[in-house]
Amino acid sequence: MANKYSLHAIYFCTGCGIIEVPPVITARWDAERFGVIPVATPRQANLFLITGYVSVKTLRAIIRTYEQMYEPKYTVGFGSCPINGGMYWDSYNTIKHLDKYIPIDGWIAGCMPRPEAIFIAVTHLWTLIDKEMANGYIRYRENYNSYRRNQELALGKLDWPPLFPVSDEPQGNEQ
Amino acid sequence: MENMVVKIIQIILSPILALVVGVFFLGLARKIMARIHWRYGPPLIQPVIDMVKLFCQKSVSHGFMFDLGLILSLAGSIVVVLFLPLGGIAPLSGSGGLLVILYIMLFAPLGMALSGGQGANPNISIGISRKLILSLGYEVPLLLVLLAVMTRYKTISIVEVVSAQQSTAWSFISFPLFLSGLSYFLIFPAILGIRPFDTASAPQEISSGPMVEYGGKYLALATIEHAFILFISIALFVNLFLGGAANPVIFFVKMLAVFVLGLCINAVFPRFRIEQAVKYLWKWPTLLAFLGLIINLAMRS
Repeated sequence: MANKYSLHAIYFCTGCGIIEVPPVITARWDAERFGVIPVATPRQANLFLITGYVSVKTLRAIIRTYEQMYEPKYTVGFGSCPINGGMYWDSYNTIKHLDKYIPIDGWIAGCMPRPEAIFIAVTHLWTLIDKEMANGYIRYRENYNSYRRNQELALGKLDWPPLFPVSDEPQGNEQ
Repeated sequence: MENMVVKIIQIILSPILALVVGVFFLGLARKIMARIHWRYGPPLIQPVIDMVKLFCQKSVSHGFMFDLGLILSLAGSIVVVLFLPLGGIAPLSGSGGLLVILYIMLFAPLGMALSGGQGANPNISIGISRKLILSLGYEVPLLLVLLAVMTRYKTISIVEVVSAQQSTAWSFISFPLFLSGLSYFLIFPAILGIRPFDTASAPQEISSGPMVEYGGKYLALATIEHAFILFISIALFVNLFLGGAANPVIFFVKMLAVFVLGLCINAVFPRFRIEQAVKYLWKWPTLLAFLGLIINLAMRS
């Protein structure tokens, strides 16, 4: 319940999308009345907002940031690019489907969405938390094998230890 | 025997009172800051919601000292609260007085430094070094101010300082201590670590400094610790310069007035760099405190 009204957000502004965030957290739209405040470190955050396209290089940082956050944690992809590549659908170094690599609880479609869309996302996330459907962190724990394999496929060998124990036997939900 | 029971009740009650008031101040701070920014702002109980969430979260310890340092600084703050008279409630303030408070007030930054050292994050090291440099900056004028107060009232007991002010006038508006009071008010944001002296926990530069590895229950404990420090430094000012109070309600009203004034400073000033902060702290507040001390010494003899 308290998770709902106290979303401490860490914004991962990869390229575009950075300009939509300041009006949301400052005087124009004031996200603080929903309990959403920006924090500086993943340790303090429980909402991860990824705005704009994800390149192979930033994917590494995104995964490490996500794994440093404490559970329960929620992820929202902001803009078309994390969903399916958007206008970078045929780019050689852009990650097309972010949810193959980390679990996403909700998407905000658009290129770019208006800042108000973040509030729609937050209120929708409240509904999902109430219905216990914002369970990305549980899915990540359960299917860590396949997530880790996808990450290795995209990034080569990972230079950090696995977050959960991994086995070599294939599990369900293979990509 | 009855005296003993009352004292024990007060010892249990006063940290709880300090915690409630401190957390209320944290919520009020966010609301007032929002109103100054022309925002609506979060509900008043937002810090409580945050804390409940943080205690429910899973968290990872970075080692033995990481836990212990935080508890040490929290314990130090609680002990300081016991030594402060809170408008009639004064469980331990009869013994020790200002000197004890001066000693134990150092526990809070020290515990944080110990705890942060175990976190082994470069941002923590930078934040801790800035925090210790800043406390070096404000300890000098603070010591001079407290010396002036002790010289003026010829006592080291806060209870006697408060009762002397209640029989005459507040020391902030009486002549020989006015400069010292002003000096305390100038270093007040530095003690609290609010703007313009929030270099230690600058979120935009060093990812909130010593707090960078705190999450979950550690962050909740650090927030409680912050609430205590907020309470202690305001309560000390009210006791020494605004005449304390006969009952807790008036005491908290006085604290509220000081706090809102501090918030207005917090809302409009940008952040000092650390060397600018020390330069400022060792210039004007120290000068004023030194002058105040000399005037008091001269008037005494």
